[in-house]
Amino acid sequence: MNAIGDTDQTTATPLAERRPILTARDLVKEFDVGGATLHAVNDVNFTIRQGEIVGMVGESGSGKSTIGRLVLSLLKQTSGDVTFDGENLASLSDKALRALRARMQIVFQDPWSALNPRMSVGRQIGEPLLLHTNLSRSERRQRVERLAERVRLPAKFLSRTPAELSGGQLQRVCIARAIATEPELVVLDEPTSSLDLSVRAGILELLAELRRELGVAMLFISHDLGTVKLISDRIIVLYLGTIVEEGPASLVFGAPAHPYTQALMSAHLPPNPRAPLKRHVLEGEVPSPINLPKGCRFASRCPVALPECSDSLPPLVATGEEDRRAACIRIADGGNRLNL
Amino acid sequence: MTLLAIDNLETDFVSRTLDDEIRVAHALNKVSFEVNRGEIVGLVGETGAGKSLTAQSVLGLLRAPARVVGGEAVFDGRDLLTLPPAEMNELRGYEIGLVVQNPRTSLDPLCRIGDQLVRMQRAHRPVNGRVARKKAVDMLAAVGIPEPERRMRAWPHELSGGMAQRVLMAMALINEPRLLIADEPTTGLDVTVQAAILDLLRQIVLERSMGALIITHDLGVVAHYCERVAVMFAGSIVEEGTVDAVFETPSHPYTRALLSATPERLKLGSGRQLGGPPPDLYNLPIGCHYRDRCERVRDICTTPPPATDLGEGHRVQCHFAKDLEGQPL
Amino acid sequence: MTDTAVATPRRRNVLTSRIKGLARRSPTAAVGFAIVGLFALGGIFAPLITPYDPVHSFPREILVDPGSTFWFGTDGNGMDIFSRVIFGARYAFAIAVPAVLLSLVIGVPLGLWVGYVGGALDEVTMRVLDALRVFPSIILALAVVAAAGPSVLNVVLVIGVLDSPIFARVVRAEVLALRSSTMVEAAKAAGNPTWRIVMVHLLPNAIQGAMAQSAVRAAWAIRISAALAFLGVGIQVPTPEWGVMIRQGAEFMVTGQWWVALFPGVALMILMLGLNMLGDGMQDLLNPRRRG
Repeated sequence: MNAIGDTDQTTATPLAERRPILTARDLVKEFDVGGATLHAVNDVNFTIRQGEIVGMVGESGSGKSTIGRLVLSLLKQTSGDVTFDGENLASLSDKALRALRARMQIVFQDPWSALNPRMSVGRQIGEPLLLHTNLSRSERRQRVERLAERVRLPAKFLSRTPAELSGGQLQRVCIARAIATEPELVVLDEPTSSLDLSVRAGILELLAELRRELGVAMLFISHDLGTVKLISDRIIVLYLGTIVEEGPASLVFGAPAHPYTQALMSAHLPPNPRAPLKRHVLEGEVPSPINLPKGCRFASRCPVALPECSDSLPPLVATGEEDRRAACIRIADGGNRLNL
Repeated sequence: MTLLAIDNLETDFVSRTLDDEIRVAHALNKVSFEVNRGEIVGLVGETGAGKSLTAQSVLGLLRAPARVVGGEAVFDGRDLLTLPPAEMNELRGYEIGLVVQNPRTSLDPLCRIGDQLVRMQRAHRPVNGRVARKKAVDMLAAVGIPEPERRMRAWPHELSGGMAQRVLMAMALINEPRLLIADEPTTGLDVTVQAAILDLLRQIVLERSMGALIITHDLGVVAHYCERVAVMFAGSIVEEGTVDAVFETPSHPYTRALLSATPERLKLGSGRQLGGPPPDLYNLPIGCHYRDRCERVRDICTTPPPATDLGEGHRVQCHFAKDLEGQPL
Repeated sequence: MTDTAVATPRRRNVLTSRIKGLARRSPTAAVGFAIVGLFALGGIFAPLITPYDPVHSFPREILVDPGSTFWFGTDGNGMDIFSRVIFGARYAFAIAVPAVLLSLVIGVPLGLWVGYVGGALDEVTMRVLDALRVFPSIILALAVVAAAGPSVLNVVLVIGVLDSPIFARVVRAEVLALRSSTMVEAAKAAGNPTWRIVMVHLLPNAIQGAMAQSAVRAAWAIRISAALAFLGVGIQVPTPEWGVMIRQGAEFMVTGQWWVALFPGVALMILMLGLNMLGDGMQDLLNPRRRG
């Protein structure tokens, strides 16, 4: 039996030297909810490099799914920019944006609702090829068969409709569709959350393999810390639409710096009765995104908060270890550690 | 002391195909386990394994086409499976508390929280209104709801998911049941909220020396909050025992596969085939139901596997249980 | 199982048993289908079944009682009512089928379009359609047919146009639900242009409700056309159309010749019942939540 925490990823090429494929700058998304303004995403900045898997974690209301959609321009941001391979998405025409979609794709949480129930899964896998390539019908069919094989979906399923497949098989269909045009970035929005454990493992295997063989970058959005830890190179932790910590997976999971990250990690239950739990149960509730706190968003629940934490929003700054950044003024004086 | 003893519970699905043929599925197959006082038992397995169906069968909440066809579930000397509906209603919510998965849909949206808690008490015993309200406030405080007096007047839609789940827990516990059955009590909740709810559950079970059955697919919850665990596959309990025994020396290939599929133990790139299609209850393989997916399948697996006792209540339904015991995953 | 030699007989078996299965799950649909089918066959094979020409007048056989020569009796022109009732089914379908098709052709694209675009366009269109709907359609139809002239074509056009808002509404409701669905988001993310999202992804999923409605709307079309004929602005004497026949018969009711109006009335009633049952049953079968 293995100790928990020995599954760190190591990659051959240093990720920091690779070209950024996607950059989000000062991203803001506000929703109008019955006259009030809901601040879903607040000044978020991050970069995804070629072939890198970035895990985005946070609890409900943290804005992680919204960010996933903003990044692909499925939602329009209130302000800020998303740049994909040097192109500012907001400046593109509808046509140019559609063409660019061949290079950036998405896999959703619930494969049952992400597929057209009245179209064969083979046609749905081939749809991006139909839209973005000039392949003939027979060439497309061959490609679809290869894709099915790639995601280990038996070819006999291709002529069936989604209702005839299981959840795991449907998620494989969604993944095949997402990689059909060999995109450089795939956003995965909770891709394994609705699946059973053993099915989930198969999908994770597949994603790791696709990254290895196709070099596709991924934004892996999930609330499941175990899964994110397993697959990600870098982690972004969100709280109330703001990045509180960002850094290499090993560092963020091994020695979380921000008090919220520490509390989040401590609530995770590894499936090993012998693993010691160092729990810090958070008091109170997440503040409303309609009335955002002025200072640090986490100050109201933070056990190590100082009065000045509520004065102004702490900047996301380098902590000095590798390329980790965190938004907590207590890191400087070493008072950020929770008593776990 | 045994609170609930389920013995050889069998539930069938009877349905008709589009081709108008009658099909019978043995959805629960000789399910037996016990819940003792002061312990939390975890029931785990994948979707369709029969976890919720077990609870529904025991509580008389089955709906067509499912029906109990055999076995017994003894609670307090009475077999719940043969109890008249009126007596079952009396037990449910009074001696047996129930927490269901979706707090949003299990609270009456047109009734304030306090009124629901009062109603819950009055459904079973005539209680003075003031006494009932007092008890409701105490219960809300006990499940960790801040400002319980004020929350009594809250509507369900005003509650966050975590708060709604706490209220549901209060509903289940207000009549001081002796047994609590919780179906996925923390699924869909954030991890920090989940931690608080489970801490509360364990504290209450210990304090009141109740028994609790938690149905979940989250092995982390089982590992840290349950004393014993039963692993279900295709309507059968394939392995059962103390959490330590099952997690340390898993001896059924399915339990072993389940444990190695957790992200914490998963080795990406090992090329190992995990999982497989969900079992078709209408068409289960003869003998061991797991054999189509089993790594260790042999000829003997076409005969029903014996229940192997590995000691201290660690029971495994596999021909190779003894060989697998203690082997590394 | 893949043996082709046994595949053929087995297939027919599957088909019949599947029909049986459907009939069991919705006996309403089955009975409705049987009634409508019977009338359709009657209409198609009318010349073979009917003993007389529906518009041939027997001058010496006026207002004959139902009996062995004239099963349903004769009308004031000495025409055989049985033959006219059977031929009447032709007119019922000749009006209902094209009228419903026209409604679908107008209503479905309209519902798709306003549902997907939404916003002000949707608001305005829906209010206009509401206004159209609250206005008693029979009066509108009456006015239009009176102005344009009484012909089968005009009746079909009026009914088809008047009924299209119903389909627009049903399709729009489906589209509204689907528009914000993950499926549409996925289609957009795949790079589908709007027209393709609407035609390939929305249309096939939004049209079910409209299809289930069509039988009920056919019943409505038949009733309106009969009402127009009854009021004298629709199809005219001596066309063997039920509304015309009921109108002719109405004046004889007081003098005791009940059969002239009764038989076309009963035929009209049974066919409408059948169409409504078929429509209800189809809704049951298509709605997965009500499926057994």
